[in-house]
Amino acid sequence: MGVTCVCQVPVTEGKSVQQTVDILHRKLEQLGAVKQGSFCVDCETYTATGNASGQPSKLLYVMHNSETPLSCLAMFEGGPFLIADANFDVLMVKLKSHFQNAKGHKVECRGSRYRYCDFLIKVGTVTMSSSARGISVEVEYCPCVVPGDCWNLIKEFMQSFLGTNVPELPSVFAAKPEGLFAPADCVDTMTQYQELFNKLRKLQIQGSNVR
Amino acid sequence: MQQREEKQLEASVESLTSRVSLVQNALQSFINKLENEYERLAWPSVLDNFALLSGQLNSINKLLKNEKTPSFRSQVIIPLLLSPDRDEDLAKLTEMRVPVFSHEIVPDYLRTKPDPEVEEQEKQLSAEAARIGPEVAQKQIQALNKMCSSLLEKLNNPREERDSDSTARQNKQSFNPADTNLLVSAIAFGKGLSKCRPPCPVPPGHSGQGPMMSGGPTLQQVTIGGKMPSSIKTNIKSASASMHPYNR
Amino acid sequence: MEAPPVTVMPVTGGTINMMEYLLQGSVLDQGLESLLHRLRGLCDNLEPETFKDHELVYFLKGQQGSPFILRARRSLSHPNAPWHVRYLGQPELGDKSRHALVRNCVDVSASHSLPEFLNEMGFRMDHEFVTSGRIFRKGAMKIVVGSVSRMLVPGNTENVEQISLSSLIELSILAPAGQDTVSEDMRSFAEQLRPLIHLDKVDPAKQRH
Repeated sequence: MGVTCVCQVPVTEGKSVQQTVDILHRKLEQLGAVKQGSFCVDCETYTATGNASGQPSKLLYVMHNSETPLSCLAMFEGGPFLIADANFDVLMVKLKSHFQNAKGHKVECRGSRYRYCDFLIKVGTVTMSSSARGISVEVEYCPCVVPGDCWNLIKEFMQSFLGTNVPELPSVFAAKPEGLFAPADCVDTMTQYQELFNKLRKLQIQGSNVR
Repeated sequence: MQQREEKQLEASVESLTSRVSLVQNALQSFINKLENEYERLAWPSVLDNFALLSGQLNSINKLLKNEKTPSFRSQVIIPLLLSPDRDEDLAKLTEMRVPVFSHEIVPDYLRTKPDPEVEEQEKQLSAEAARIGPEVAQKQIQALNKMCSSLLEKLNNPREERDSDSTARQNKQSFNPADTNLLVSAIAFGKGLSKCRPPCPVPPGHSGQGPMMSGGPTLQQVTIGGKMPSSIKTNIKSASASMHPYNR
Repeated sequence: MEAPPVTVMPVTGGTINMMEYLLQGSVLDQGLESLLHRLRGLCDNLEPETFKDHELVYFLKGQQGSPFILRARRSLSHPNAPWHVRYLGQPELGDKSRHALVRNCVDVSASHSLPEFLNEMGFRMDHEFVTSGRIFRKGAMKIVVGSVSRMLVPGNTENVEQISLSSLIELSILAPAGQDTVSEDMRSFAEQLRPLIHLDKVDPAKQRH
């Protein structure tokens, strides 16, 4: 597991989500990237039902990533996280009287996985309640685990197919002491997906207000 | 269909052979131990050997009872070729017990009747029985029955005493049911383990804090985080004297 | 609307509705050696695995009803191994025809952040203990022989005291719901350990008061 950057790519003016994704695929293939299967990241949202302490309860997210198919990541917003095996999903079913699954909040991100030399690129469509909401691009530079040492390289590579849509250094890295990266549990990657999903979820609410 | 049955038969014969050879090995090593290491052999290890054998016999029994195992009884074996010459393969297969498959031995090995010696004995016995007249036989039967019942009575009476005595002794030696209960309740709900917090009563059996906990409006009103838990705590303390769930 | 490319199966999963079949018993220290000897003879693994675990039992209290209980375990002999969290359903004793206690069971391996995470979920630790002993296996059966110790200082797994002179023995099988036949294997195995020990369905609820 290397350093990973997840960002949102806006839909090209006058094009649909799928057309924009196709354009990205073509650009990657022109660069020489090779398609290597597909990927999927999903996220379920849970809310605590009975809160004895009277404090507003934090949301609990349970996420899966096809890159780590036997694991499951549970995290509280800004709080502790837990990596568990797939039986954690069964546990959440048992806990349903204490933690309710916000059904409409299920987010999924599916798409193709490309390899270009030491880079792993995943272009995905983010869907919420079965309608496409946006496009995600994940770029991983596999040989390095120190963000400060390879961020510029990642940025330059992303420029080559994203143009001006290149993001800033992800905040998960900015908050870390220099030269440190989370161990090989892909928590940093998942946190970035989580932030992206939240952003898209809020966009959706604003969008519906405008209409 | 037939092919499947054949396959099934083959598979069950194979697993039967492997299990029988396990028993054979276990028996061999046990006999070996009995013959060569009898001076050092401890009783628990003899018991272990018996337990091993009983386990293996159990599994053979289970295999035979398994509904997938075809009935071996209904299978017919026909000797197709008999030869007076020594057959090396056969000798190897049977660990040198059967070196030739000849006219002489085949009837003995493939017979479904008792062994020849047993048959001979049986013949003698029935001949002897035929010689005695019915009256004498009746008398002998009565005498034997009487002897058996008195012997049974003698055996049965002290057996009860002996049994209860020996189980009690063994109980004392190796296990204590009270300890089982103590251990089970300790791991099941922490009985007897030091608590890191005052124990909270486990429903059912307490109603004191019910109304406080449920009821949406009250929950909404309590906005100060610390207030509610502390009131619960006092509630428990007052209750604990009378209805401590972990009272021994 | 554009259909998203669906090429990967959903990764959510886990094994639903596993049941634990359980028989329990105990052995006094003076009988322990003979029992271990016997188990070595009967089980698949000649040399049993040893373990030393710290178990923390967490309660989550809802607005009503019984608390939701989770058992978190960590190995003291393998500190880098994942934590293990376990949910156990209400035990069913069943009638005479069923030879073992049955309860729903969810086993989850988890990272070391488990205690902190459970706290955030609203769970509070109710009690803890240390247990150590040996694990034997025979087919699908697992036989755990171990002592249970209370902790004299909360959180300190070094300073412990055995609660009983006996070791607890648990014979268990995990199987999907409805496979009651496994309990027959367990019964016949338990028979082979008599009269050294007596394994039975023990209803913990009966010991509560």
